[in-house]
Amino acid sequence: MTDDGRTEKQVLEELGDEERALLKRVLEIERAKLHLSAYDATDDLLAAVKEIIP
Amino acid sequence: MRLQSITLTNFRQFEGVQTFDLTSDAIRPVSLLFGANGAGKTTFLNAFTWALHGAMSEDVEQQERMVSDSVWRALPIGQSVEVAVELRFDHEGRDYRLLRQASVHKQSDHQTRPSPELQLWMTAADGSSEVVRAPQETVYSILPRGVSRFFFFNGERIENLVKRGAYAEVQQDIKVLLDLEQVERALAHLPKVDRKLTAELKKHGGDKATEIQEAIDALRERETTDRDQLKLLEGDLAALTEERDAVLDVLRQHNETRPIQERRDAVARDLEDAKAALATAQAERQHLIATRGFLAFTESLGDTTQAMAESLYEKGKLPSPLKREFVDKLLKNGACICGTPLTEHSEPWLHVKDWRQKAGLQAVETAWQQLSGQIGPLATARVDLRESLSSLMTRINAQRDRVDRLIEEQSELDGKLRDSRREDVQALESKRIDLDTQLGIKQQRIGSVRSELDRLGRDIEQKTKERRTAEVTDELAAKARARSDLVQSVKKALEEILAIREEDMRRRLDAELKTVFRSITHQNHVPSLNRGFELTLHKDVDGVQLQVPKSTGENQILSLSFVAAVSKLAREIRKERRAEGEAPPDAGIYPIVMDAAFGSLDQDYQQAVSRALAQMAPQLVVLVSKSQGLGRVVTELMPYVSHLGVIETHTTAAGDVADDIEIEGVAHPYIRPASTDHSELKVIK
Repeated sequence: MTDDGRTEKQVLEELGDEERALLKRVLEIERAKLHLSAYDATDDLLAAVKEIIP
Repeated sequence: MRLQSITLTNFRQFEGVQTFDLTSDAIRPVSLLFGANGAGKTTFLNAFTWALHGAMSEDVEQQERMVSDSVWRALPIGQSVEVAVELRFDHEGRDYRLLRQASVHKQSDHQTRPSPELQLWMTAADGSSEVVRAPQETVYSILPRGVSRFFFFNGERIENLVKRGAYAEVQQDIKVLLDLEQVERALAHLPKVDRKLTAELKKHGGDKATEIQEAIDALRERETTDRDQLKLLEGDLAALTEERDAVLDVLRQHNETRPIQERRDAVARDLEDAKAALATAQAERQHLIATRGFLAFTESLGDTTQAMAESLYEKGKLPSPLKREFVDKLLKNGACICGTPLTEHSEPWLHVKDWRQKAGLQAVETAWQQLSGQIGPLATARVDLRESLSSLMTRINAQRDRVDRLIEEQSELDGKLRDSRREDVQALESKRIDLDTQLGIKQQRIGSVRSELDRLGRDIEQKTKERRTAEVTDELAAKARARSDLVQSVKKALEEILAIREEDMRRRLDAELKTVFRSITHQNHVPSLNRGFELTLHKDVDGVQLQVPKSTGENQILSLSFVAAVSKLAREIRKERRAEGEAPPDAGIYPIVMDAAFGSLDQDYQQAVSRALAQMAPQLVVLVSKSQGLGRVVTELMPYVSHLGVIETHTTAAGDVADDIEIEGVAHPYIRPASTDHSELKVIK
């Protein structure tokens, strides 16, 4: 929670379905590759965007 | 991460292959190992960090002598010997076997630093097993190197965790533990994704969309440059602050300057307080003027209004106190209050009707009553305002005088150091002044870059809105725009999530730190973790929070409390509902391995720390000597111990060196004479 009382849950609830799906996918991708410092997620993230808006 | 066992092979004092079981559960999370001085407690602790990260702490001497001395001596020149540490642990539903191993070739009697290889095997819950191809990176993702200092540490040196300057690093280190790292990485990668998408938009989007996109790109480029610059400036600021603080430390330690510098420190603290008190009083005055200031101009208003109203009455311009409703009732009833019948169109009827025109409405009368009712209290409110303002002005003037006085004193103290007869003192003070000037310049530049970044952010948002409504006829371009909008929204949400998580992390660490610290110490001192991630200690003196210097003992307790807080938070955070979805049941679990857990703490603290330790982490390995660990410590910890052991010292020292350790009424070998110096891990239970 921040000073203005916002919570992570509120941020998620205010997102549309597509936005929420992409956000979850982005964090999954980044978390799975946290151990690889040389990994650049750009292409995987781009693919995730194209899956959501084909 | 939960430790299962450790196996040492020819690892320093531990010759041959020696294993210690570390499996534990929630009821008995503690493994307790006793060892005499030099037995190898520090080596045992360092075996974990060497296995995980390939490094030992700086206090381990002669780090190139990894192979047990007796084994090395017995090894013929030209042959090789193995040194290794194997660690078994589980993490987030998977079992791991980690082996750091080196084959050391003997070319002379002197050992050279080995180059170990790391291997890692993973077994999933379904029984499938595989070799991990990026072993070190995987270990870093489980337990980042910087973080290991919170979980594998020497109790006597733990206070280093809370030393000045350590916290910027600490803040960075715990990001992985507290689930911030992946958000930061996503925020670094999403702009790259967006650039690829907007390139398509520019290619197919038509003149208007292309023009807007080019403007956005230009703004983003400036944003990136400014962000880089801000990072550099903040780095410079931190370095300059550290340098300035180091100079101040020298001035504090210097015999000649100590009293002056100590006074200057006190004056600086008072000055900060005085400035804060002045700002508060000024803000109160501002509020008072904004909400009640108009009253000051109402002195003649009441009298004027009253006089004006009466004059209007007299002139008949204001309705008389007679109510129109009353006249209407008389006309309707057909009788005056004096008894005269009021027959329609008769003279009395016409007379009364005439009064109707002069009569006032009830509503107008009520409004007038209310207004005249408020004229009186205006005078009282004005007196109140005058008194409140006067008391505030007294406060403001007093604080102004205090600030002026402290600035004068500060200047006087500065002058004493600047004009000191000693050249070294003069040089230190000029350096301090120079560094303070540089710090001021950096702070100004940071401020201007931040406001520039704010402006750029607003401009980008505006342009993105324009882009959303710009006409795009090409289907590919429309899709690229929709995708870019999606990426932008997600990036914005992630930025907010990061800010929420960072603030949440600090607040919760602060609260937990206070709880653990309170449970250990008997002093009325309260720790706080501020927004800059600095750890300070305060005491309450008549409602005023005063910063207190931290003693070594307190620093140790603070560090332990901080470790406990980090450990607890890491577990809690993974259990909560988060953007990533469900976490594995054992996520965020880390063991704590501590050598000399009680450092140089006195008996009372040892007992309190032991009690806190058992609740501190889901798994705990404690290494202690007889003098540190027997008595209250054993009494407190024993109910939680699942594995008890002794690192038995075998020594070639002459004389009657043999010693035993008595635990729960049973004597166990502690030190034994031997033909070679080495240590053995012995399991008691």
